[in-house]
Amino acid sequence: MRPYTYAQARSVREALRGAGPDTAFLAGGTTLVDLMKLEVVTPERVVDINRLPLDGVTLDHKGLHIGALERMSDVAAHPAVRQHYPMIAQALELSASAQLRNMASIGGNLLQRTRCGYFRDVTTPCNKREPGSGCSALDGINRGHAVLGTSDACIATHPSDLAVPLVALSTTVHLASPRGTRSVPLDTFYTLPGSTPDVENVLRPDELITGITVPRSPWAARSLYLKVRDRQSYEFALTSAAVALELQGRTITNARIAAGGVGTRPWRLTAVERALTGRPATPATFEAAVTHAADGAQPREHNAFKPALLRRTLVRALTELQESR
Amino acid sequence: MPRSQVGRDTDRVDGRLKVTGAAEYSGDYRAADLAHAHLVTSTIARGTITSIDPAAALASPGVLRVYAAPESRLALYEVTGQAAGFTENYLPLKSDVVRFHGQAVAMVVAETPEQARDAAALVTVTYDAQPPRTSIADEPHVPAGPTISGAPSSLEILAPGVGSIDAALAASDVVVEAEFHQNVQHHVGMEPHAILAVWDGDQVTIHAGAQIPGPYALAMAQRLGILPQSVRLITRYVGGGFGARVVLWSDTPLAAAAARELGRPVRLVLTREQMFTLTGHRSHLTQTVRLGASRQGVLNAVSHRSVAERPTTIAFTMTPAHSTSDALYRTPNLHVDAQVAVLDIPGSRAMRGPNEAPGAFALETAMDELAVATGVDPVTLRLRNQATAHPATGLPWSSKHLDECYRLGAERFGWAGRSATPRTRVDGQWLYGTGMATAIYPAHRRAGVVARVRLLDDDTAVVSTATSDLGTGSATMVAISGADALGIPVQRVTPEIGDTLLPPGAPAVGSSGTHATVPMVVDAARNVIAELKRLAVTADRSPWHGAAVEDLRYERGILHGLGHSLTFGRLLTTIGSPGIYKESAPGGQPVPGYVHHSFGAHFCEVRVNRFTGETRVTRFTTVADVGRVINAKAARSQLVGGVIFGIGHALLEENHLELDTGRLASSTLADYLVPVNADVPDIDVVMLDRPDPVLTGPLGDGSEDVGTGSLGARGLGEIGTVGSAAAIGNAVYNATGIRVRDVPITLDKLIDHL
Ligand SMILES: Cc1cc2nc3c(=O)[nH]c(=O)nc-3n(C[C@H](O)[C@H](O)[C@H](O)COP(=O)(O)OP(=O)(O)OC[C@H]3O[C@@H](n4cnc5c(N)ncnc54)[C@H](O)[C@@H]3O)c2cc1C
Ligand code: SF4
Repeated sequence: MRPYTYAQARSVREALRGAGPDTAFLAGGTTLVDLMKLEVVTPERVVDINRLPLDGVTLDHKGLHIGALERMSDVAAHPAVRQHYPMIAQALELSASAQLRNMASIGGNLLQRTRCGYFRDVTTPCNKREPGSGCSALDGINRGHAVLGTSDACIATHPSDLAVPLVALSTTVHLASPRGTRSVPLDTFYTLPGSTPDVENVLRPDELITGITVPRSPWAARSLYLKVRDRQSYEFALTSAAVALELQGRTITNARIAAGGVGTRPWRLTAVERALTGRPATPATFEAAVTHAADGAQPREHNAFKPALLRRTLVRALTELQESR
Repeated sequence: MPRSQVGRDTDRVDGRLKVTGAAEYSGDYRAADLAHAHLVTSTIARGTITSIDPAAALASPGVLRVYAAPESRLALYEVTGQAAGFTENYLPLKSDVVRFHGQAVAMVVAETPEQARDAAALVTVTYDAQPPRTSIADEPHVPAGPTISGAPSSLEILAPGVGSIDAALAASDVVVEAEFHQNVQHHVGMEPHAILAVWDGDQVTIHAGAQIPGPYALAMAQRLGILPQSVRLITRYVGGGFGARVVLWSDTPLAAAAARELGRPVRLVLTREQMFTLTGHRSHLTQTVRLGASRQGVLNAVSHRSVAERPTTIAFTMTPAHSTSDALYRTPNLHVDAQVAVLDIPGSRAMRGPNEAPGAFALETAMDELAVATGVDPVTLRLRNQATAHPATGLPWSSKHLDECYRLGAERFGWAGRSATPRTRVDGQWLYGTGMATAIYPAHRRAGVVARVRLLDDDTAVVSTATSDLGTGSATMVAISGADALGIPVQRVTPEIGDTLLPPGAPAVGSSGTHATVPMVVDAARNVIAELKRLAVTADRSPWHGAAVEDLRYERGILHGLGHSLTFGRLLTTIGSPGIYKESAPGGQPVPGYVHHSFGAHFCEVRVNRFTGETRVTRFTTVADVGRVINAKAARSQLVGGVIFGIGHALLEENHLELDTGRLASSTLADYLVPVNADVPDIDVVMLDRPDPVLTGPLGDGSEDVGTGSLGARGLGEIGTVGSAAAIGNAVYNATGIRVRDVPITLDKLIDHL
């Protein structure tokens, strides 16, 4: 770890004062401190934001509002989340471990960094960590890496489970900076790696996430998050699916679908949504709808199974949702 | 009246200390004026160091020293003779040669661990790199040489008139040929390797986790250039060995040499990342098994070949057919062969069931394929081919109840109703299947083990031997067998282990700790009781003064005779002795003319998701024939732990060696997956508890009054690991019809065929 200064901020304004590229905001610390120990990130200033009033989980006619500093475990346990947005609670509970979920915040979760092993090993080339140094994963061990949204510069998977249902449900992220506040759809908050994989989102160095809003919708209550991985617990997803369906009788009138573990950012699958809409909720519909889910995928040596696994994950998630009423 | 605890459930003597955190592991020991070390490791696999710049590290706060290759100030020496087998073949930080990715190239010592670690990151190293040799497929293969036990690693036995193993196979009605691969596996004990070295003049005390304290200390003495008696090794609590703490790696000598050079105690704790390259692994491996049999499945030929890695610095010779294919089934034609390829890879070492776990995976999977090919039930097939004499040597077993393991296991598991046709049991999204496999593990007897039993005047006893408890419960075993031999409650026996000042103890390897230790404890107890009687008839104040030893009878801690009865404590008090002790004779080799193995049978059920292909183990039954059971509770947890190892082997554990860099891809427990609780079903374990009539102990004076209830034990630390992965793979086949011969069986190997 490199030496840094530490300060506790009591207001958003205080936290943002003087914030720049060398500043890191400390929430639960489960990503930040880890990466500081590995010297993957080496901030000069660490501003502890845990005292900021960015908490609260509320439900109103607009939707579900979650403060950036709410802990993963508290959000997962919240009755409104469980009842109206089950896949958000499921995605949280399938993440990390109980101890980590007690520490980790919602804002931090959305900003967690990739689990690419080369990114975390400072002795190997990595464009995300050190722009221009190369990407070790392209010809390295890339079983966990992304197949969608990749570039020649980076194929790192976005690791957050929570972000997957949030993207499916058109969540908005609220940001604050010395210039004021703004709100950005989560889907466009994340950027593709392109030739600048070190840039992962539109957040500016002097900007904080203050909270998120998940719109109210008739389909969110009928939703499911499925996470597929080698071991049954305490592992990131090989693939995951957030699926939400609105039905009239047996007909799907609205679908929201996103996938995790396959993309360089949480991957909304609007084509699958369209293919489901207006069709009966049957295995044949599900099978047909997912055929193009992984179109454009760019598999590499060890993750060539992901396009097929993605399609299978989606069918399984839709089937489970359909059977779960 | 105390009853013997042998074979019952006994809580660990140190359980409370461990769960409350009071037990001190190597990294917990403190010393005045302690300095802390941190290693810098190489980022190439082969080549030379061209420069190391310590300036920034030296300028960093709290830094005391930077020791750097090629010529650090540390005094380290070659290890020769027998001890050389217990350590690596190069001197760390003493040359510019890089032999593997992750080798120590510098060490920073500072006032705090954080200062040392942060400064270590500032050391810059430049290299002249050469392409590393990394492929066991492409590098030349050479014979592996003798196995660890000295047996040849290659063997061919042919029936009269048969020209070659290939001819025997060609003449068989049914032939199964299968190739198996597995990647590098790691021990990943919970406790990272930690060393505290404290010098006092030319004497050094080392706190470190070590599985074989004696040879470890001996190798250490040579490495430091001091006399063997100048090294005291303390290894009281150890957070998992699994083979990673057998040899003296570079970490301990570096810490001790730094402490000497600096004139201060030094502690070195490896990071989890460093554990992956500096403390050994199980070699990756390719195996080919060919079985020839009659249509009824009676074996006519067994051939088992393997190719493993031979690291340049230290290599565990992989002979996976040894104690599996050369021991398990009756066959007139047998051929086993082990080859290795020299690679620039971190040193490899034995890992729980070192040869036998991979070997049994291959053999027992092939046997399942033979069952499928012949239509014979897998249990019947194995019973049909049971060996009554050891195939490789023709010798009888000291004790073997494998048939009972199969029968009892099949009954408990409910094997009878099984459908042999794959993919016939479906429950919703899940395909169900069952599989079974055999477990076999040699019972190595280690010579030279000595135990000491001390009787104290407060009616307690101390049993001492320098073995090591890796978390397995050996300290408790020592207490139980001492209590049994003395006929007193376990609570009145204090076990003393893990210190080279004690009499030489059993190595905690090869599942040998218990059966090498117990007979020596019994022998020492016998000797100390004889001494007690001698004192009783000679000591002035003894009520038996002047009587004959034959007039005395020792029973359950009490001497009786001539109308008097006194506990040993009372007698010692009466005669004014605080205590007496005696040692056992050194343990000998087992009785010649027998082979010794433990056996077992695994049965399991898995389910495989028909959409996404994850395999989950849902039921597991293991029946084991391990000789006498000393502590049923610890034995069960060893077997359960062994099966969990098997779940990891079958479904999760692997590290990829990057062929162009020689770097092992995983170095964290997030990337190197071991089973978590959610992956482990209830595991039903039964031990037959049949004492081995041959593996007893050195015969004492034959006095009938010393308990021998603890004799006849064989080992059980590894046998749960052997065969369990094959049982899982066979169940996956039964569930899906897909045969996966490359472990781990991950979903990507299944989904295209589901
Ligand atoms: C072993 C392990 C397993 C895990 N498994 C999973 C898993 O299965 N699924 C999963 O989704 N996640 C998993 N995680 C990741 C975990 O969920 C994240 O580390 C956690 O959510 C981050 O939240 P935090 O509050 O600790 O963030 P911190 O570490 O405090 O911060 C993370 C980053 O976000 C920035 N930041 C934090 N809050 C704000 C804010 N309000 N505004 C602006 N910037 C901010 C920080 O500066 C930092 O750069 C795992 C983590 C570990 C260590
Ligand atoms: S995939 Fe991205 S994060 Fe991983 S090594 Fe390549 S550039 Fe770095």
